[in-house]
Amino acid sequence: MEYREVRDWKKLTELGRLSGLKKPPERLFFSGDWNPGIFENCAAVVGSRRMTEYGRWSVERLVGELVNQGKTIVSGFMYGVDQAAHEAAIEFGGKTIAVLGWGMTWKLEKRERVLAEKIINSGGLLISEWENQEPTLWTFPVRNRIVAALASAVYVVEAAEKSGSMITVNEARKLGREIYAVPGPITSQVSSGTNNLIASGKAKPWLPGKIVARVGVETPVYRLIRERGGLTADEMGRTLGIGVDVLGIELTHLVLSGVVVERDGQYYQG
Amino acid sequence: MLTKIQSVAHVGLISVPVAIEVDVASRGFPGFTIVGLASRAVDEARERVKTAIVNSGFDFPPQKITVNLAPADLPKDGAAYDLPIALGILVAGGQITIDEKKLASCLFYGELSLDGGLRRTKGVLLVALFAKREKYKEIFVPVESANEAAVVSEIVVRPLRQLAQLIGHLTKAKIIKPLRSLPVAEVIETAAAEFDLAEIAGQEQAKRALLIAAAGGHNLFMWGPPGTGKTMLARAMSGILPSLSEEEALEVTRIYSVAGLLKSGEALIRRRPFRSPHHGVSAAGIIGGGSNPVPGEVSLAHLGVLFLDEMPEFPRNVIESLRQPMEDGVVEIVRATAHVSYPASFTLLAAVNPCPCGYLGHPTRPCVCSQKQVDNYRQKISGPILDRIDLFVRVGVVEVEKLLENQSRTGMTTAEARKPVLAARQRQLKRFGKAGIFTNAQMGNKLVKRFCPLDEETTRLLRTAVEKFNLSARSYYRLIKVARTIADLAGEEPITSAHVAEALQYKQFG
Repeated sequence: MEYREVRDWKKLTELGRLSGLKKPPERLFFSGDWNPGIFENCAAVVGSRRMTEYGRWSVERLVGELVNQGKTIVSGFMYGVDQAAHEAAIEFGGKTIAVLGWGMTWKLEKRERVLAEKIINSGGLLISEWENQEPTLWTFPVRNRIVAALASAVYVVEAAEKSGSMITVNEARKLGREIYAVPGPITSQVSSGTNNLIASGKAKPWLPGKIVARVGVETPVYRLIRERGGLTADEMGRTLGIGVDVLGIELTHLVLSGVVVERDGQYYQG
Repeated sequence: MLTKIQSVAHVGLISVPVAIEVDVASRGFPGFTIVGLASRAVDEARERVKTAIVNSGFDFPPQKITVNLAPADLPKDGAAYDLPIALGILVAGGQITIDEKKLASCLFYGELSLDGGLRRTKGVLLVALFAKREKYKEIFVPVESANEAAVVSEIVVRPLRQLAQLIGHLTKAKIIKPLRSLPVAEVIETAAAEFDLAEIAGQEQAKRALLIAAAGGHNLFMWGPPGTGKTMLARAMSGILPSLSEEEALEVTRIYSVAGLLKSGEALIRRRPFRSPHHGVSAAGIIGGGSNPVPGEVSLAHLGVLFLDEMPEFPRNVIESLRQPMEDGVVEIVRATAHVSYPASFTLLAAVNPCPCGYLGHPTRPCVCSQKQVDNYRQKISGPILDRIDLFVRVGVVEVEKLLENQSRTGMTTAEARKPVLAARQRQLKRFGKAGIFTNAQMGNKLVKRFCPLDEETTRLLRTAVEKFNLSARSYYRLIKVARTIADLAGEEPITSAHVAEALQYKQFG
């Protein structure tokens, strides 16, 4: 992939946020079309590599809202929450910046290369402080400080108590950034970190904005999905006491009309 | 003196007559030779026959004995020639006298043990079918395997316990009672389902998918974390399928008879087979193999269900070897000395975990696999195989409390499920009368166009779905085939948008 160095990045006003770091990067490289405006209003969305379905759905709702507010989504390009955030940003028509945990010359796997191209084609950027650097244990936490610094607020979706996301949060706190965490199920290990952030007051809970019911569709099935997102067809059939054959027909129509989305067999409001 | 005894050899499922010519020469150096492309098992018959004859109270002639298994160029395997060889020696040696004509109308088949008793021998059903076709009057087979032959009408089956018993019968000292013949239909009807659908709690959508799969002969892909009941669902499948017809039962039993997998005393395979090979199986084990090829799992699952649990754990070449049987319904096995084909028309049920650890997408448990592991795992099943699977369903985690509180609603029994399946199958048989296929799943694109006309509304729905879900042309046709089956289950001829909408619930997912 083509990349260039940001010449004298410390002189660029759009990167002023990075100079607040205790140890700012020495050099900076990027892929994509440099557009200073992209750095103006950034929100970082970070979280676990081991994302659950709940996490994926949360990312989609969260990123959707952030993009609607005109924010650029910054994340770490790792699989799991990070990549889901980049993908969601592109899907919602927003811009996104991926801060790599390795050097620009490192060869990406096919799936990641496809995502990287999508980011660039949608007007986003890939940036890194290294030119030739293998991804290793220490590069990821180091990269996290840049993610934290670029954003004015950091949103954590699913993070265990000891995780890279917590490092990002700590960096962000030092820099005085706002921290939000998405509350998760108390039974879920990957939500223990985020729930603790909220409980200890280090982060504000992020809750989805009010969902406005759309006019015209107010069937029992739709109402159930609106009230309790994340149910499977089996569960809805049992709750409503209808067969999955009949239910399936309606679910397909709801999904095709776009008022309901299906993720891995679970139905949510679209 | 020279004598000729009739027996049978099997090449795959084809039976070939074998004449066992035995000569006990009055001159020459004493010896015992078997010629005629005999395998090691046949060659060792010399020792078994010699001892069995002596232990049955006869003399083994100290003369030059030559046995020829004709036709000489056909390789022969197995111990089934023990009985005809022993009989030949006794007749040719002049120890007993039998009418030559009578001998020519009988088939002898069975393995001897050293004490002169007869042992269970595989392939007896094929011997009986061959005898019926070639108009032999009687067959003599080991008592333990004789039930296999009992389902074949119009021939006399004489079950043997001892070699001496046979000689007694032939010399009319003591006649062996023929086996009472067993009407096939009677045997099939007494078969109970192995596993009832009602025993599985929850999983309504998966059960519905099973029903559709059974009705239209579709292959089914089940996707979900471990312990959610995928295996139980698969086991319930053979119960919902219509019971075997007489013809089908015989066809399945032939395969099991050749493979030697019928239990002692078992007459007929009465239920649709359910085969669930372990993922350590080799390609030869799955499609059949060996120098004298024996049927593999795909043939043992003929007219039944082949269940591959944790399909991506199977070696890639094993999965790929399923392509031909899935397409053609037969497997051709070619070896240096043999070329045989076995029928292999089965319904494939594949159970797949979402990732190697099994918990990807689990509501609460995090998955511990790396993205690369997940990608590799998914890529194990190639496109061409997935293209031959029409139905995809998720089998999710069921919370116990939810099941308990709604227990009454999950109780579709196997018997209830089988009724609409049977009706749907009848409709298909009527529809495809002249097209040469039996089920909706077998329709090619041309037949889909012919038998599945769609009205405007349905076409519009399909077009929206193709755009929204980015469906390929192939999945488009699969969708219509499933919709056809759903309409058949409902007893309706025209396919409506409701049928297509339900079919979309079972489309392939990423």
